Amino acid sequence: MSDSPGHAPVKYIMPKWVRGPQDFVGGLALVAIALFALWASSDLQGMHGFSFGAGTAPRMFAVLLLALGAAIAVVGIVTEGPHLAHYAWRGPLFVSLAIVSFAITIRPLGLVISAFVSFIVSALGTPETRWRETIIVGICLTIGCSLLFPYALGLPLQLFPRFLVQ
Amino acid sequence: MVDLFHNLGLGFGVAFSPINLMLCLIGALVGTLVGVLPGIGTIATVAMLLPITFGLPPVGALIMLAGIYYGAQYGGSTTSILVNIPGEATSVVTTLDGFQMAKQGRAGPALAIAAIGSFFAGCVATVLIAVLGAPLTKLALAFGPAEYFSLMVLGLIFAVVLAKGSVLKAIAMIVFGLLLSMVGSDIETGASRMAFNIPELADGLGFATVAMGVFGFAEIIRNLDAGAEMDRDLVQQKITGLMPTRKDLKDSFPAICRGTVLGSILGILPGGGAVIASFAAYTLEKKIAKDPSRFGRGAIEGVAAPESANNAAAQTSFIPLLTLGIPPNAVMALMVGAMTIHGIVPGPQVMQKQPELVWGMIASMWIGNLMLIVINLPLVGIWVRLLRVPYRLMFPSIVIFCAIGIYSINNAPVDVVLAGAFGLVGYWLIKHDFEPAPLLLGMVLGPLMEENLRRALLISRGDWSVFLTRPLSAVLMAIAAFLLVLALLPTLRKKRDEVFVESES
Repeated sequence: MSDSPGHAPVKYIMPKWVRGPQDFVGGLALVAIALFALWASSDLQGMHGFSFGAGTAPRMFAVLLLALGAAIAVVGIVTEGPHLAHYAWRGPLFVSLAIVSFAITIRPLGLVISAFVSFIVSALGTPETRWRETIIVGICLTIGCSLLFPYALGLPLQLFPRFLVQ
Repeated sequence: MVDLFHNLGLGFGVAFSPINLMLCLIGALVGTLVGVLPGIGTIATVAMLLPITFGLPPVGALIMLAGIYYGAQYGGSTTSILVNIPGEATSVVTTLDGFQMAKQGRAGPALAIAAIGSFFAGCVATVLIAVLGAPLTKLALAFGPAEYFSLMVLGLIFAVVLAKGSVLKAIAMIVFGLLLSMVGSDIETGASRMAFNIPELADGLGFATVAMGVFGFAEIIRNLDAGAEMDRDLVQQKITGLMPTRKDLKDSFPAICRGTVLGSILGILPGGGAVIASFAAYTLEKKIAKDPSRFGRGAIEGVAAPESANNAAAQTSFIPLLTLGIPPNAVMALMVGAMTIHGIVPGPQVMQKQPELVWGMIASMWIGNLMLIVINLPLVGIWVRLLRVPYRLMFPSIVIFCAIGIYSINNAPVDVVLAGAFGLVGYWLIKHDFEPAPLLLGMVLGPLMEENLRRALLISRGDWSVFLTRPLSAVLMAIAAFLLVLALLPTLRKKRDEVFVESES
C-alpha cells in the first residue's frame, strides 16, 4: 500500500497549526459522515422502555464515529503527520464515467453496446492507451462477454437495444 | 471418531461426483488465474463471479467459490516468486525470499516448496475442520445472544490489533462499516433506515456492491495513479530442476509445520485471516532462525512458512462460518451471500440438517488442493505469459467484468452506480491511509451484532451488565479488553509497526 509520496502540493490550503493534514482532513470527513448519519436517522424511533427502537443502534454508532473522527482530527493537529496525498483526476474520472455509462445504457441499449462503450471510456483513464489495440481488444471482450454471460451462464442479460428487438 | 470417518466418507462421496469434480477444477483454475493477475483481488473476484453460481446446485456453487478462494492463494505465490509481483495480498511476504531464490536460478524448488507447503497445510486444515466441526457446533448451542455479541466484539478487536497503522483509524473504519450495515430496513420493526426512499436501498447496501467498489474499482483507480505501465522484470531464464533437493525438504519441513499451525489458529479467529497469517509466519521464522540474515536472500523457509500459513488460514476460516454462522472475513461474508441465495442459513443447524453440503465442500477442498498441486506446476509457463498483458488493456476489461457482475446480482443499474461511488470512497480512504478491510468486516458483522445486542438486552430487560455476568461472554469480553489494551500500549505498537515495515521493504 504505497501512496504516491506526499509532494504536499496542497500545503498552503492548511493552516499552520495543523501538523498532520492527512489525519486532520480524514477525521473531519468522518465527523461529517457521522453528522449526516445522525441527521438521516433522526426520524427513527428511539428506545422505548428497555427495547431498542429502529433508530437506537444507528445513532449509537453514529455518535461513536463522531467521537472517533474528532479524535483522529485532534491527532492530526497535535502530531506531525503526512501531507495530503496527490490526487489524480484522470483515472477516477474516466473509470467512474465508464461505470455510470454502463449503468445507464445496459437496460435500454443491451450488453453489446454498453460493454463496448464502457470499455472505451474507461480506457481513456490512462494516457498510455493505444487506440488501435484498445479497439480490437474491446471488440474481442464484447464478443466474449456476449457469449459468456447470457449463453454459457444463462444470466438474463439483454444483448441488443430494446427498440431493435421489439 | 467413527462419526468423523462417516462424515468424511459422505463428503468424499458428494465431492467425487463428476459435476462437482468439474466445478472444483474450474473454481481452482479461475482462482489461480485471478491470483496470478495483480490488481484484482480475491474479494472482488468472488463478488464478480457470484452470479455465475446462481444457476448451479448449492453444493456445486459452494465448491466452486471455495475453489476460487484457495486457488487464488496458490496463484498469488507463483507470481511472487517468478516476477516479484504479489498477485494477492496474502503472498506479499513470499516475494522477499521467493524472488531471491528465482534470481539464483532456484525458481523451480521455490515453486515446488510453495505448492507442497500449501498442500500439506490444506490437508491439515481439512482434517481440522472435520475434527473441530462437531464439537464447535455443540458449543454454538450453548451460545446465547450475549455470547454471540461478545464473540463478535472480540473478532472486531482482533481485526484492529492485527491491522497495520493507527489503532484509532482502524476502529473508526469498523464503526463506519457498522453504520453502513444499518442502511435499509430494520430487522425488527421494518422501518426504513437512512434509505432516503430509494427503493434499491430499502434492502440495505449490498455487501458485494460495497466490496466490489472498495476493493475492485478503488484498486483500479489507485493503480492508474501510479501509471498503467508497471515495470515487470520477469525472470527470463528457463525454469529448470523443479524438484527441491533433500536438503531443501529437510530445511523447509519444520517451517511448513509451524506455518500450518499458526495459519490454522489465525484463520479460525474472526478478524484474522490469510494475510495476517502469512506475515506472522514469516516473522516467526525469522525470529527463531539460527541465522536471521539469510532471510531476504533466498531462504527456503521464508517461502515455505508463509505459503503454508496463508493456505491453512484460508481454509480454517470456514470453521466459524460453518459452526457459528459468523463470517470471519470479507470473502466468507460473500459465501454467506451465496448460501443465502440458495436458501441456506449458515450456522450450527446447517451441519445437522444438510451434512452432505458441508462435508461435500470440506472434502472438495482437499481434492481441490491436490488438483492444484498437479495442474499448477505444468501451467507455470502460461501464467507467466499472462503477466505480459499490459495493464492498459487489462484494467478496462476488469472494469467491464466488475460492472456486469454487479449488475447481474440484482439486475439493478443502481447497484453498479453505488459500486462506482464506493470505488471513489475507497480511493479516498486509501489516500488518507484508512484501511478498507476493517470497514468491510464491520459491515459484515453489523447486522448480526445489532440483532444479538438487541436480543441480549431484551432478554436481560435492558441490563447492560449481562455481557459481563454470563461467564462465557465475560471471558470473551475480557480477552477483547486485554487485546485492546495491548494494542494501545506504545511499546507493542512500535513493535507491530516494525513487523509491517520490515516485511514490506
